[in-house]
Amino acid sequence: MFSDGGFWITQALNSLQLAMLLFLLSVGLSVIFGLMNFVNLAHGSFYALGAFIGYSIASQSGSFWLAFILAPLAVAAIGALIYVTLINRMRAAGPMKQVLVTFGLIFVLLDTMRYIWGNDQLGLTSGVPFTGSTELLGVTYPSYRLFIIAVGLIVFAGLYLLLEHTRLGAEVRAGVDDAETASCLGINVEGTFFIVFLIGCGLAGLAGVAALPAFSAEQGMGVGILIQTLVVVVVGGLGSLTGALIGSLLVAVTLTFGQVFIPDFAGIIMYALLLAVLLFKPEGLFPARGRA
Amino acid sequence: MRNKLAVLCAATAVALASGAVQAKEYKVGLLLPFSGVYAGLGTHIENGFQLGLEHFGGDLGDNTIVVVREDTEAKPATGLVKAKKLVLQDEVDVVAGIVSSAVLGAVRDFAHNSKTPIVVANAGNDKMTGESCSPYLIRVSFSNSQINRPMGPYLADKGVKKVYLMAPDYAAGHQMMQAFKEGFTAGGGEIVGEAYPPLRDTKDYGSYISAVKGSGADALYVFFAGGAAITFVKQYADFGLAKDIPLYGAGFLTSAAYVHVQGEAADGIVAALHYIPSLDTAENKRFQEAYQAKYGKVGSEFAVQGYDAAHLIVEAIKASGGDDEAFKAALAKIKFDGPRGPLKIDPATNNVVQNIYIFENDFQDGKVVQTVLDTAEAVQDAPNGCAF
Amino acid sequence: MSPGEQRFRHGLALASFAALIVYWAFSDFFGKEIIAEIAVFAILAISLDLVAGYAGMVSLGHGALLGFGAYMFAGAAVKLGVSGGIAVLAASASTGLIALAVGLVVSRVHGIFFIMATLAIGEMGYEYFFKSKTFGGDDGFAGIPRLDLSALGLNTNDPATFALLLILVAAVVYLLAARLLASPYGWALVGLHENEGRMRALGLPTRLYKASVIGVSGLIAGLAGSLAAMHTQFITPQLLHWTTSGEVLIMIILGGLGTLVGPVIGAAIVILLRHELSGYTDYWGFWLGAFLIAMVLSRGNGVVGWLYLLWRRFKREGGHAAG
Repeated sequence: MFSDGGFWITQALNSLQLAMLLFLLSVGLSVIFGLMNFVNLAHGSFYALGAFIGYSIASQSGSFWLAFILAPLAVAAIGALIYVTLINRMRAAGPMKQVLVTFGLIFVLLDTMRYIWGNDQLGLTSGVPFTGSTELLGVTYPSYRLFIIAVGLIVFAGLYLLLEHTRLGAEVRAGVDDAETASCLGINVEGTFFIVFLIGCGLAGLAGVAALPAFSAEQGMGVGILIQTLVVVVVGGLGSLTGALIGSLLVAVTLTFGQVFIPDFAGIIMYALLLAVLLFKPEGLFPARGRA
Repeated sequence: MRNKLAVLCAATAVALASGAVQAKEYKVGLLLPFSGVYAGLGTHIENGFQLGLEHFGGDLGDNTIVVVREDTEAKPATGLVKAKKLVLQDEVDVVAGIVSSAVLGAVRDFAHNSKTPIVVANAGNDKMTGESCSPYLIRVSFSNSQINRPMGPYLADKGVKKVYLMAPDYAAGHQMMQAFKEGFTAGGGEIVGEAYPPLRDTKDYGSYISAVKGSGADALYVFFAGGAAITFVKQYADFGLAKDIPLYGAGFLTSAAYVHVQGEAADGIVAALHYIPSLDTAENKRFQEAYQAKYGKVGSEFAVQGYDAAHLIVEAIKASGGDDEAFKAALAKIKFDGPRGPLKIDPATNNVVQNIYIFENDFQDGKVVQTVLDTAEAVQDAPNGCAF
Repeated sequence: MSPGEQRFRHGLALASFAALIVYWAFSDFFGKEIIAEIAVFAILAISLDLVAGYAGMVSLGHGALLGFGAYMFAGAAVKLGVSGGIAVLAASASTGLIALAVGLVVSRVHGIFFIMATLAIGEMGYEYFFKSKTFGGDDGFAGIPRLDLSALGLNTNDPATFALLLILVAAVVYLLAARLLASPYGWALVGLHENEGRMRALGLPTRLYKASVIGVSGLIAGLAGSLAAMHTQFITPQLLHWTTSGEVLIMIILGGLGTLVGPVIGAAIVILLRHELSGYTDYWGFWLGAFLIAMVLSRGNGVVGWLYLLWRRFKREGGHAAG
């Protein structure tokens, strides 16, 4: 099996697909983290919200594409509401209190979703694009997975342009580097925080709706994915686009190949990777700041 | 509120002329996960249980049944605390429910020592009606090996030679695969590979599925349930392997609870289970019509387990004449025809003896139709070290 | 922190343990079970408070320490057949040692990195016991005995005796922890939290210090684990899962981080609230989460902080009236 070239190509694509999903989830979390110095533990809940809202829109309208556009916007709107009512209020109280608020939010959002969408698994069975498979590099590979890879790469490119070539990007980079100096220089740090938070929530929602056809929407998916996302963020280092990308790739490759080569340790390889990175690079591989 | 939902089954208007039998209020503790990962199954079982009380609890004379529900969160420690609450504080006569085998393991000794009968309405751990059996554990659902055992000879007889196995890495996954493996290899089959992905952490089965491709297997036999089953079936279909390596499994893979979510991806899968909604019997028609009218969903095997648990308890009350000891003893002696067909409790193990249906999923006109291909009748577990 | 506030907290602790004993005296069988659960989690929460509240290292690995202690107790008592008292000591000591070893490794990382490192190690422990054939894997470990105190005329299998015993153990743990924190070791710990750089400049071996407090915390968590195993007499790897750690974290946040009595009160609140709420709604998690958020949004430090504010106002007004 391992001498077959097709196996390696398929596994490489599997890694890339998982990495892109993890990237969509972790990049927002990482940049919020680098900028505002707090972890949004409810980030996984936004992913779940994206899947459930996407399900409702797609099954009501019959259009997956409508859900694909609207669900991330809806999640960003919910994020805005939470930011204004809860998180912004806690700015003065420090990052620890903000983390705790989002910890409480996990439970509130989980039960709210249970109340609205019930406890059964939901999924789309019709109107899903890119069903079937494609011939690529000599292997047959599910088209939808290629679509997820493409979405991830497009988002990465878009964020890269945004960060490196726009005023907002410059403000974000300045804010991550040193928020105090940035605000002395006349940058509206608070406004930047808000926009970055919204983009992060929207991307988590995008990951949720993108995952919907390949997985299913189920309660608890947000809590389940949170740990993996946090591992990616910490492995990659806080606050950087490159860090989130490298972290995602590393975690995805480790999981995908580890599951096949050392199946007995499939449950712990991700944690082993995390510990190994922390032992040698206590602040992750590519932190945005020299010292966090 | 809903917690102490009383189901009054007494025909209050018709006073008993005889007056000889003492009226008794039977308390049933419904111990199920209403939050956490198994909350969906908890709801199905509770719905089935309530419907069962409606259907069968109507002629209990002066006796009444009161249901007290408690949430286990599918956590063993919480399940045990709640079981103690039901027995010590509410003083229930019988406990019904229990989805997770880990919770059943936690509750087992307490139930045995306090002589509280438990009517198990899901948890399938073989050991609980094997070496760890108790006269107070009565299982109306299934045992893990019972579901899978008939599939071994079935596939061997069909001429399938080489099979790859896959199931989540926990006790139930291993028990299910072991039961299949024994029957299949005894029939001349060969296992060419096995994979046990981590239970909760596996989000993507792509790498596992890719490994099956080059294994030389004629078929893949799996057990997955819930969200993992949906994800696995969809991803297997996406990889397009099914035409070369068809997918078989324990029927939870395409459970009525979520096969509509799998849709076309479930097409062609052959699996074995103790119940499918399309069984053509009068009992099943009555159940499905009432269930769908009341809850707006197809009744799954989990709902049937709840329904039959209620049926069993009601029959035991009727058979006991108001005597507590007689009631406990009667629970293990009931037999009846339920939605899934004839059902009785094995006196050697207290596990249910029931038909296992081997069925095929066909995707037709936007819906999955499940058709029985073969029936293994009255499948009974070996005692496996059980001695009361 | 003022001496007045310190006195207030000790008074509150006395009142809390007294309240538990009153509840014990008037509760039914099931109440005794709840008390035992509260006591176990109060001890675990105190152990976490030493690390998270005083030394400023928020850990998501305390569930794993609890579970490890429980398995060590069960292994010693059932597999090796040693007497209950020795099994408790062995479980506590081994959990303390492993916590110390882990502490030496993780003490070099900070903040979220510390949280993730403890989570990772905890999850590896969970995975080990989940798969371990020796300890029964995910089927769990059954038939665990309780400490035999018949020589003292106590029957620990009686729920009332057992619950009372656990309240007393929790009170002793509270006193020992308070004593430790009032010693120079405790001062250094708080100093470490407030300004690690300065403590290092003063010549304190900061990493060793941090590791040692994680070790002490492990000793206490191992004791809590032994008591948990004795209480339920059946354990599963679920104890080690990070969600257990999360639950204890909720307890100390609700009660008041770094107050020592807060964790005890928080444990009681969370356990009672869950039992009461789950009787009314399947969505009890919503209300627990909302309560947590409300507590964090409010200005005080958890319930203890609130009570202290009330107490000060009460005293001021009382003093005013008297003057």
